[in-house]
This record gives sequence, structure tokens and C-alpha cells, in this order.
Amino acid sequence: MPGTRNAASEGVDLAYIGRVLRVVSVADFKLKYADSSLGYAWSVAKPLAYFAVLYAVFGRFFRLNLGFKHYPAYLLIGIVLWTFFLDTTNLGLWSFVGNSSLLKKLAFPRIVLPMAASMTTLLTFAVNLIVLAILIAIDGLRPALSWLFVPLLLLELYVFTLAISVILATLHARMRDIGQVWELAGQLLFYATPIIYPVGFLPRWAQYIAFANPFVQVLQDIRAVIVPQREAMTVAVVYGSEAARAVPLATLTIMLMIAWWIFKRDEPYLAELT
Amino acid sequence: MTVFSIDVSDVWKSFKLPHQRQDTFKERFLHPFHHVEVEQLHALKGVSFSIEQGEFFGIIGPNGSGKSTLLKLLAGIYVPERGDMTVIGRLSPFVELGVGFNEELSARDNVRVNGALLGLTMRQIEERYDEIVAFAGLERFMDQKLKNFSSGMKVRLAYSVSIRVEFEILLLDEVLAVGDQEFQEKCFETLETIRSQGKTIVFVSHDVDAMEKQCDRVMRLYRGEIVEIGPPDEVIERYMATTHSMG
Ligand SMILES: Nc1ncnc2c1ncn2[C@@H]1O[C@H](COP(=O)(O)OP(=O)(O)O)[C@@H](O)[C@H]1O
Ligand SMILES: [Mg+2]
Repeated sequence: MPGTRNAASEGVDLAYIGRVLRVVSVADFKLKYADSSLGYAWSVAKPLAYFAVLYAVFGRFFRLNLGFKHYPAYLLIGIVLWTFFLDTTNLGLWSFVGNSSLLKKLAFPRIVLPMAASMTTLLTFAVNLIVLAILIAIDGLRPALSWLFVPLLLLELYVFTLAISVILATLHARMRDIGQVWELAGQLLFYATPIIYPVGFLPRWAQYIAFANPFVQVLQDIRAVIVPQREAMTVAVVYGSEAARAVPLATLTIMLMIAWWIFKRDEPYLAELT
Repeated sequence: MTVFSIDVSDVWKSFKLPHQRQDTFKERFLHPFHHVEVEQLHALKGVSFSIEQGEFFGIIGPNGSGKSTLLKLLAGIYVPERGDMTVIGRLSPFVELGVGFNEELSARDNVRVNGALLGLTMRQIEERYDEIVAFAGLERFMDQKLKNFSSGMKVRLAYSVSIRVEFEILLLDEVLAVGDQEFQEKCFETLETIRSQGKTIVFVSHDVDAMEKQCDRVMRLYRGEIVEIGPPDEVIERYMATTHSMG
């Protein structure tokens, strides 16, 4: 911190950060679900309920499932990943403003707050992935060696989601209506992203734009690995070049840089701003 | 040679008070180049002082004179706008009626969160938990949400946590303001022990009698500036004279 030297707090104490992350995550979890075990059950069931509705409407009624054999798995992957992204960013958005009493009274590495917020949704995500695995097994899909890429892709999604959370949380300290803005943006993004429909439904130019989004790249890569398709629409296929893999990674890098820059800029003032 | 715990040199801190509200996305989106007039509120205007290791250092001054702002700067909660501060040793801060608490969590969970934030390991938290609760005298209330606590109960708990973490410097901001007589006495007993361990105490209070009895030196702030630093009885006497002549 500029102008302040404290011999005792020089350097980053990872064990300390780990402990803080742990207690704050547990506290966040309790705050969110303390008074209702039903609340947690719902957070786990929510993507499944969406899946049931969307499958009935788009799969059956609009007959999207005729196009491909494994539409249920394809759809559920999209919904589970999207729910994680949206829930984490929505919760992360509040991680500074909602913890102003801590920010105003104690000095600690502020970054643990958005990280802790992601732990709650990460747990729900893990449970959802188990459900997804069961559905995939029922659907008759068998594991292959290429599935080993999935954890790596999930890590990419997590990093991207955390970067967006940090940007939103920091903006929220300065602009209190950013929650409404993000809610609207989230709804628009849901329909602009090939979650319920295949990428091929988008016009060519829109596909180029969509694949600049790391979320779409991760989503399509995971689908390509798990659901056998005639021609999997991944970023390399859409752009017609393996080198195009750099496009979503560039977006991810830029988002990380923005998150770091905006967070570092405002970190010293979070106690005053919230 | 004297050993310093805290060295503050020409520290300034101001807060921005915008005349019109511009803290929404809508405003910024609709008027991106709109210039907002901002008033600077100078909470601290170039303060310099040092506190020796093991000193019991008092700070007095009327409301709004910058006492809490100074403590928050020392604690690293705010950053100075200008100037330098050096703090040697681990701090345990008690500011704004206590350590950071979440009203919706149980008192038990609040102790865990704060203990960890103040640097205790999980094991230390478990080991010290009973002591913390017993000192605060809140055994029967620990499973209740903090929002059901009176301000006196919160201060007892917060104080009890602050003095049981590992520290060399204790920052206390109006710890006596809402406690009862019994708590005040317990407070002074513990402060006596802390002091005998050679630890530094920075004590902000309106209780001039307590200050006079406990402090080694007292600093008087007025509108963000240091009026004087000296022996408690003299500083307090002149402080009382000014407040009385004003009132
Ligand atoms: N977060 C803040 N934002 C704006 N003004 C503040 C903030 N904190 C303190 N101030 C102002 O700074 C001045 C000093 O406040 P403070 O340090 O709390 O005084 P004291 O503790 O001596 O009563 C006051 O005028 C107060 O209104
Ligand atoms: Mg004050």
C-alpha cells in the first residue's frame, strides 16, 4: 500500500489467505442457505428444472432433438456451465458492497472476498457435474481419454468467471446499479450464447463473435469432447484454423488484465467506497 | 535508544464528497463527460507523531476531529493521500465499535471469521474460543444472530476477540462508549496486563478520567490537526478548558 509500511505484513502469507478464504466461504454459504436447507436443494435442482423445461420446449416441441442424438447431454452441459457462470458473477458482484462492515473495520487482502463468493457456487457446480455425469451415463455415452481435457477447460471457465466477478464487484463499489445492468446483460447473453440451440443456428458473422467469448469456446470444447457429433463446432472449426484457439484466450487474457487493473486501482479505497 | 512502534510523518487524508450523486451506471452512461464538482473533506491535514514501543498513547478531540480516520489509516483500512506511516509489529484493531461483524451470522461464526481475519489459525480459534466467550460473558448467546445483540454485547465480544489475537499494538476506538461499569473495569484490568507485557496501546476515548489515569501521553486533535502532545493531565486540562469555553 502506498505510504504505509508494516514490517509484520510484508509479503503474501498464503496460509493466511487460505484460512480466510475458508472461513469467509463457510460464512457466505451459511448466509445464503442458513435458514433453508431447501434453499440449497433448490440451487442444486435449479439447472435441472431449467433443463426439464427447455428440453420439453426446444427438444420436443421445436424438435431440436431430431438433429442430434444426444441433445439432452448437449443441452444439460450448456445449462450447468451457464448456471455456474451466472450464479458466480451475480454473487461475486456483491462481494465488496455486501461485506462493507468487514472492509471498514479490518485490513486484509480484499481479493479473498470475490474468491470466497465463488466457493459457494463452485460447490453447487460440483454437485451439478455429478448429476450431469449420471445423465451422460444414462444417455449411453462412454468415457474416452479425451475427457481428461475437461478439468482443464473447467479451470479456464473458472478463471474467466472470477475475472468477470472481480470486475463487477469493483464496479459495484462505485456504481450501485451495476446489479441491474448485469441482470439485463445476463439475460441477453443467455440468448446470444449457443446454450439451448446449436452454434450452426447463428449466422456466420455471429459465430465469429460468439467464439471470441471464452465461455462459448469452453462450452463447445466440452461438448465436442463428451458428445460425439458429426462435425463438432469448436473455435478451430468455425474459424477454419487451429491458430484461432488464440482468439478466446486473448479475450481471457484481456479480461484478466482489466480485472487486475481495476481491482488494483480501487483496492485501497474499498473501505471508503462501500 | 527509544524503539518506535508507530511513526507517522506528514499524513494527509481527505474524502471526496460529490455535490451531485454520480454513483450509478445510468448517470455515467447518459452523461459520460459530465464533470461533477467534488468537495474535498480534509479529515487529516499533515499529522506527524511517533509512538514508542510499550506506550499507552491516548488521543482526544471533539467529534469529527479525525481520530477514527487516523486509527483506520494506522490499521491499513484506509491509505494516506500523502505522507508516510511506519508500523512495527502486528496490529489488533478495534475501530468503529468493534471488529468487522456480519449481523446475519451467529456470534459464533462471527468470532471464527474475525479470528481468522486477525491472523489466528483454525486451531488457535478453537483453543481460544471458550476464553473469548467467557470474557465477554456471552455463553448463552453465541448461537444467536448478531443482529439480536445490543451494542454493548457486540462491543464486549469484539473487544474480547481483539485482545486474544496475536499482536504487539492494540488500537482501541471508543471501546468504553457503550459498555457498562463492570465491562469498563474488566477492560482496564486487561489493558493493565497487556501493558505489562510491553505492548503498545493506542486509545481513543471521550472518557478523560480514564485517559488521565491510564495514558503515558495524550495527543489532542482538532479539525484534522494536532493541537498538542504531552502529559495527560496538562493536555486534558487545556482540552476541557476549550470545550467549556466553547460550550
Ligand atoms: N468514509 C468517509 N467518507 C466521507 N467522510 C468521512 C468518512 N470518514 C470520516 N469522514 C469525515 O472525516 C472527518 C473526521 O471523521 P472521524 O475520523 O470519524 O472523526 P472522529 O472519530 O474524531 O469523530 C469527519 O468530518 C467525517 O465526516
Ligand atoms: Mg470516531
